Amino acid sequence: MKYIVDIKCLSVYIKGKKILECIDLKIPRNSIFTIMGPSGSGKSTLLRVINRLIDLIPYAKVEGKVYVFGMNIYNVDPYILRKQIGMVFQTPNPFPHLSIYDNVALGAKLNGVARNKDELDKIVEWALRKAMLWDEVKDRLREPPSKLSGGQRQRLCLARALAIKPKLLLLDEPTANIDPVNTRKIEETLTSLKNEMTIVMVTHSPHQAARISDYIAFLYMGKLIEWGPSSQILIRPRSKLTEKFLRGEI
Amino acid sequence: MKRLDRRIIMDRFFKYLVIVISLIALMPLFYIITSILVHGGSTVLKAGISFLYEPPPSPLSTNVGGIGPSLLGTILLMTITIIIGLPLAFFTAVLAVEYPNSIIAKFVGILTRSFIEIPTILIGVLVYTIMVLPMGRFSAIAGAIALALVSLPYMYTHIENALASIPWIYREAAYGLGLTKPKALFHIFMGIARRGIVAGILIGLAKASGETAPLLFTIGGSRHSYFQGLDKPIDAIPLLIYEFAQTPYNIYHEVAWGAALILLLIYLGVFATLRLLVKKVEL
Ligand SMILES: Nc1ncnc2c1ncn2[C@@H]1O[C@H](COP(=O)(O)OP(=O)(O)OP(=O)(O)O)[C@@H](O)[C@H]1O
Ligand SMILES: [Mg+2]
Repeated sequence: MKYIVDIKCLSVYIKGKKILECIDLKIPRNSIFTIMGPSGSGKSTLLRVINRLIDLIPYAKVEGKVYVFGMNIYNVDPYILRKQIGMVFQTPNPFPHLSIYDNVALGAKLNGVARNKDELDKIVEWALRKAMLWDEVKDRLREPPSKLSGGQRQRLCLARALAIKPKLLLLDEPTANIDPVNTRKIEETLTSLKNEMTIVMVTHSPHQAARISDYIAFLYMGKLIEWGPSSQILIRPRSKLTEKFLRGEI
Repeated sequence: MKRLDRRIIMDRFFKYLVIVISLIALMPLFYIITSILVHGGSTVLKAGISFLYEPPPSPLSTNVGGIGPSLLGTILLMTITIIIGLPLAFFTAVLAVEYPNSIIAKFVGILTRSFIEIPTILIGVLVYTIMVLPMGRFSAIAGAIALALVSLPYMYTHIENALASIPWIYREAAYGLGLTKPKALFHIFMGIARRGIVAGILIGLAKASGETAPLLFTIGGSRHSYFQGLDKPIDAIPLLIYEFAQTPYNIYHEVAWGAALILLLIYLGVFATLRLLVKKVEL
């Protein structure tokens, strides 16, 4: 299976309003695939279709075919699908009633990724290190996340997503609240994770897209304007709209 | 300059006005609490610790005795009320929040809420007709069912509110990890809403433990002997207060005051411990 995600003419309507329009997209295995586009273009919605979180939104209608791991997502149990897909949301949302440790551990424990306390400790440390948060929290793992800064919370959410050892990682502007130094570090992490998983990332920033992506898709007002290897999209975009976006004009 | 002075004066004026009005509003409460402390305190001091376990005196006795059976009765009734009422309230609230479009959820929601409007004495009469009459006697279980019906809608509405006010981003986070609905509910939603859920239980409990009307037709006020079985009569402190206060005997009035103090202490104790035990969730 060469493509981890294969989307065939996907349209999404929310309360009758068209949010995504006949999107066709293939996401190659072990790549970093970036979705960029202006605010409101449907980037987050596209991510939510891939792990079927869109099902939670009342009055959302999905048309077209979406294959993830080679299976039609509407033919599999959504809970089993989501266990294999990690997601970091646009707004940092660590569970407020759990400690830093438990935020990372919960998914790994409930999904059966770790079978005992030792394994769990190891996974938590591994995930926090990968998210570049370990050094800042290793002495206060029992504290609630309300004591963390916005950027630290976002990295905690990344660790939580990594701890379920996903095959596919969905990131919705994961560095929006994070300073340049840590952004760099997280980008390095993502590049190193590529061997273990496929990464789909949403970003506003063409610069970030340029730094780490293997492929880039450009979304505009619910339509997929173009997608392809990142060098091609960045250097020789086919569409005027893409060019304008890259120049910061839309 | 003048303008500013006037603004400051108005500001002060309204501040004091608010304080005075609040004090006036609190006065009845203050009065009730002090009279319970004074009268009840003197009874309890006179009787000593045995007030908690002795049965009540005979009308012409000079010995105050105690409220043992009624105290135990109240504790038992509260426990059974929670055992019956809480799961019902909890599951209907979960149904209403997690499956808002299901017909059962809508039906149960309307039914439960409309129970708030029914005078509690009618709930007593209802249980009297469907339980006490067929069984042929008053019973602890009939009282507990009546109290559960009284507290159910309060617990239901508070738990429903607590669960429904969990921000959407945490729901997505829970389901995004692949948690099933029961797991998300148990590990995430109940944890985030724990304060609201406990508040709902307390309010339901407070409602039930202070009610007299539903007990008039159901438990039979058996206050001279200890618990004899769920299907046998039992007593509760509010019923004892209500009935003793109506008698002409001074000694019964004293016992009623003492009982009121104990009831107040139970309230405070339960509220304080639960509130302290359940930590606040900082969002
Ligand atoms: N739950 C919802 N209910 C109604 N409309 C929605 C909902 N979620 C998204 N939309 C609409 O879908 C469109 C796309 O939203 P989406 O969040 O996918 O955009 P986005 O590209 O992620 O934007 P941003 O960069 O600002 O996050 C918007 O017009 C938005 O109003
Ligand atoms: Mg978005």
